[in-house]
Amino acid sequence: MDHSSFWKPTRSDTRNYREVFPHRGDYEKLIMNTELMAYLIRSYSVWSMTSAALGHPGGSFSEAEILSVMYNHVLRYDPGDPGWPHRDVFYLSKCHACPGLYSALALAGYFPLHDLATYGSWGSHLESHPDSLKTPGIEISGGSLGQIPGVAVGRALGIRKKGPDHYDRMVYVLMGDGECNEGSVWEAFMAAGHYQLDNLVFIIDNNKVQAKGFVNTDMSVEPLAGKLSAFKITPWEVNNGHNVAELIDLFNTLHTQRRGKPNAVILNTIKGKGISETQLNPNWHTSAPREIGAAQNWLRELWENEGKRLGVPEKFHIELGRSISINPPLSHNPDEIVEKQA
Amino acid sequence: MAQFTIPDRISTKEMRYQMGYALADLANEYPNIVAVDADLRSSSGLHIFEHFHPDKLIKVGIAEQNMIAVSAGLSQEGFIPFPCTFDAFSRRFLDQLYVTVAYSNLNVKVLGAYVGLFTGKAGATHQSDKELGILLRIPRLNVIEPGSNDEMRQALRCAAETPGPFYIRIVRCEVEDHEAPEGFKFRLGKGVTVVNNGTDAGIITSGFMVRTARIAAEKLFKKGIKVRIDHHPSLKPFDKELLFDMVSKVPVIVTAENHCISGGLFSIVAENLALEGIQKPTGAIGTDPEDFIHTGHVNDLLARYKMTSDDIVNKVNSLIRKRI
Repeated sequence: MDHSSFWKPTRSDTRNYREVFPHRGDYEKLIMNTELMAYLIRSYSVWSMTSAALGHPGGSFSEAEILSVMYNHVLRYDPGDPGWPHRDVFYLSKCHACPGLYSALALAGYFPLHDLATYGSWGSHLESHPDSLKTPGIEISGGSLGQIPGVAVGRALGIRKKGPDHYDRMVYVLMGDGECNEGSVWEAFMAAGHYQLDNLVFIIDNNKVQAKGFVNTDMSVEPLAGKLSAFKITPWEVNNGHNVAELIDLFNTLHTQRRGKPNAVILNTIKGKGISETQLNPNWHTSAPREIGAAQNWLRELWENEGKRLGVPEKFHIELGRSISINPPLSHNPDEIVEKQA
Repeated sequence: MAQFTIPDRISTKEMRYQMGYALADLANEYPNIVAVDADLRSSSGLHIFEHFHPDKLIKVGIAEQNMIAVSAGLSQEGFIPFPCTFDAFSRRFLDQLYVTVAYSNLNVKVLGAYVGLFTGKAGATHQSDKELGILLRIPRLNVIEPGSNDEMRQALRCAAETPGPFYIRIVRCEVEDHEAPEGFKFRLGKGVTVVNNGTDAGIITSGFMVRTARIAAEKLFKKGIKVRIDHHPSLKPFDKELLFDMVSKVPVIVTAENHCISGGLFSIVAENLALEGIQKPTGAIGTDPEDFIHTGHVNDLLARYKMTSDDIVNKVNSLIRKRI
């Protein structure tokens, strides 16, 4: 079964943004619906990464809520017309976490859900790291850290230079805390502050873990908020980056107000959130489950922790797990090359 | 997954892991050796070095340009730094390597890991098949691409013992321990004849492709075609003497490299032959310089770029047939 019996995007028209407030009737429904989308992002990421024997679970799971808030509530876009000129721009700078973004884009309607199972296979439009010429909804190709924050600065500057229009477009860029090790990130921060780009929001997925260890011990980026302030950027610290309500409230403010300075949101998140084995564990920065049984256990855990509460039928995760098959290579190789994973 | 496990020294055949062991051994001999890591140590094999020398692994975070700059500074205090990240990320630190390291002739030994197509489905951003185009044109920089673990160990030693900047391309997958004849001694600027069945055709290899070429040579031998394979782990400086010796003896040449067919081994061979006025039917095995490598299983990549032993056999056959 697919999710259509229990989830569809909140908005029927994603070209429009509508402010929400807790005292209004549909607020609770929006929160539940967005939490459900985050659950689906994680579940479909497990599905696609296992099919591909490839991917980065840690970063894909820590970003699930911010992606669902973005695509279910904040961004104005048209999946039927990815180049719609009045859209808000969302960049994923930590491109290795694209399994999460691919799932979000499929749920938002950019391409068929089943494409997710072709991730990383020869001929698939879902590359190991995103290719903007292949995948609808991807704003720019990437996979080498620290480059896209600067692109976001240029985009925000370009939007501003074209002059005001009534869409008042926003640019969001989601980046990693470890990614802030790259010097180019600070060049982007400097330029954003200098040009006072208040149509730009840096979102830092502060999940504390990088590929081979912990950010704090490898190369600390703290005190991040203080550094951002010094770069003339307004820092916003979200205590629980997995709390959809907290995110919706903050982005309500950022999306609708302009304060003369760029904004940076520091999301306090848990790398690998949702699956006990992967949480805060650098071992699962990269490497998807190599066995279908292991992936099925992950899907069960996600359902027990979140899906059940949100009213997802148990059948959903069981059938999703059963439908996984690991994609074999299409070609035979006479030379038997041994490439081990991890 | 146990990506941080220290693999068994005897049984592991992956060059990246044997590199970790070899560098750790070398650091016992040369206490001024340090390794510099940009958050990839258990992928590159440097976690093995860290296991034996925890105080000699310097972590710079995810900052490849700074990795080279920090290494430059360390070398100025008499250390022998071996900075290591994915070869693809050499695209990020090229200017640091060109100006700070090579122009100043500093004693920095860069290890480019995950070269060519063997990156475990990482796609265009992580695959490095164009970089030799500029690396081979940086003055003073010695560029080595070993094809076996024995060559890799000897190349590391050579780099540690020879003053000046080095770039060593390290492959991720399993390789043989030896490809060259027994007693092979690696020397900078020298190639080696690894197969000498006859002079029906010549195959010139670097790096990983020596293994594929040897498989092809066996297949050709069974069909009655006797080839010679010259392997060039030292790309810069390059063994022109060996090249000209081969071309004086064989009627056709095929080059095979884990890189695109422009800017690397094929270009070196073509440039040298052209300058000497030598015309020779030549084929090139390697990736397409106009292509960003797509994500895919390594079998699919090798099939796409026609880089298997069967493809070498076909290339040699067609060149020989054309001449007749």
